[in-house]
Amino acid sequence: MIALRGVHKSYHTRLGHREVLGGVDCVFRPGEQVGILGRNGAGKSTLLRVVAGVERPTRGRVERGMTVSWPLGFAGAMHYSISGADNARFIARIYGKPLGPTLEFVEDFAELGEYFGMPVRTYSSGMMMRLGFALSLAVDFDCYLVDEVVAVGDTRFGERCRKALAERRERSALLLVSHQAETVRAFCTSAAILHGGRLTRYDDLDQAIAQYEAG
Amino acid sequence: MRAAAGAPVLPALRVQLRVVGALTLRELGTRFGRDNLGYIWLFLEPALLGGAIGLVHHLSGHALPGGVDVGTFWVIGYVPYYLLRGVLNRGPSAIAANQSLLYHRHVTLLDILLARNLLEGAATAGALLGFALFFGLVAGEWPREPAKIVLGMLLMLGFAHGAAMLLATGSVYSEIFDRVTHLFTYLSLPITGAFFMVFWLPTELQRAALWVPTVHVFELVRDGQYGTLVPTSYDVPYLLGWVAALNLLGMAGLRRARRDLAL
Repeated sequence: MIALRGVHKSYHTRLGHREVLGGVDCVFRPGEQVGILGRNGAGKSTLLRVVAGVERPTRGRVERGMTVSWPLGFAGAMHYSISGADNARFIARIYGKPLGPTLEFVEDFAELGEYFGMPVRTYSSGMMMRLGFALSLAVDFDCYLVDEVVAVGDTRFGERCRKALAERRERSALLLVSHQAETVRAFCTSAAILHGGRLTRYDDLDQAIAQYEAG
Repeated sequence: MRAAAGAPVLPALRVQLRVVGALTLRELGTRFGRDNLGYIWLFLEPALLGGAIGLVHHLSGHALPGGVDVGTFWVIGYVPYYLLRGVLNRGPSAIAANQSLLYHRHVTLLDILLARNLLEGAATAGALLGFALFFGLVAGEWPREPAKIVLGMLLMLGFAHGAAMLLATGSVYSEIFDRVTHLFTYLSLPITGAFFMVFWLPTELQRAALWVPTVHVFELVRDGQYGTLVPTSYDVPYLLGWVAALNLLGMAGLRRARRDLAL
């Protein structure tokens, strides 16, 4: 279970103090596939980073009763000057996974071909997403945090992601942030709307989408 | 930071060791690549620079006060200085260069700095060991008390690591640290104590020099090399005080910086 208790997050910017999350209270349970809908700039990525624990809430707390992936999206988690294979070795080492099988899995899932041995900075954004996703599946988390860019980036790969996640449906949870209702409908069984720094959960997916599209 | 409050210490320590180990290997990969001489450069770089400086002064034929051996003097001054400078200069860029790795919750800023600085320490230790063997075998100049040299290098690493953590903390809030650190380490070379001995100075200046913590390190290392051949003055507890203070402040700083860091 992941519980957010009164989570606030604000940043100091050149324009002054800006509050992105203004008191988020929410619980995510194992096996749930939750889509978080929000417009551009609503704070979706911030929410993912706070849930992942890579950024601290300014106020409030996050309780993690299961292992949570890093936020899967364009940036982060990898080192760009070393190869995909070296990144896989690094991930295996820091998460205490066996090197051989991890490398094999990542190479197979990411389908990078000979680029697997090349520095990540030479990859296209699609290749980076595939590598990032493969790395996170190799670690085998209880809960995956996914930015929509991964899910929709490349249709065929998106399909494989969906399958990989579906296979884990029994034990894995998924939090997917998106500004598109269709993406949430494809991946999730329930949804929430992030608006004005607050998160509202809906048990019924259609109700959430209707609400989101009306807003 | 790493685990929930009240988490057992041992597993947390194991995670930290695993992470620092992985970061060190990755650092090796990014700095030296996997081709050609690769990791040998780690030791070769300080060794070549130190060797060149020792050789130049050896050939120039200038004798040193107190009849100190010229080659060893410059080399054992230069190598610890190389460690100090390397660690300090790389401090302000440590976080920016590894920021993407903070996406892994149990990679901490402390781990990142530890990995980089331990590697730097290993490089200079390897170079110094090479020199000790060289001077011993070629000139019969074996270190009188090697343990003091080891202690000196460890204290230098601790001192530089503490200061580097503060520089890294500063780099999160301002670019100024990245800009002035190189200048500062360069300008401060004459007062670090790398290339003078305390007993060469007039009494007044000796007292002033001994306020500088690194002066104690170089004197300790020279005591290990020359023993009673030359008078040395240093105060290990004074140095330990500096190391402890810088490390505590540095770790507190990193903790604070991690909270304010937006990825």
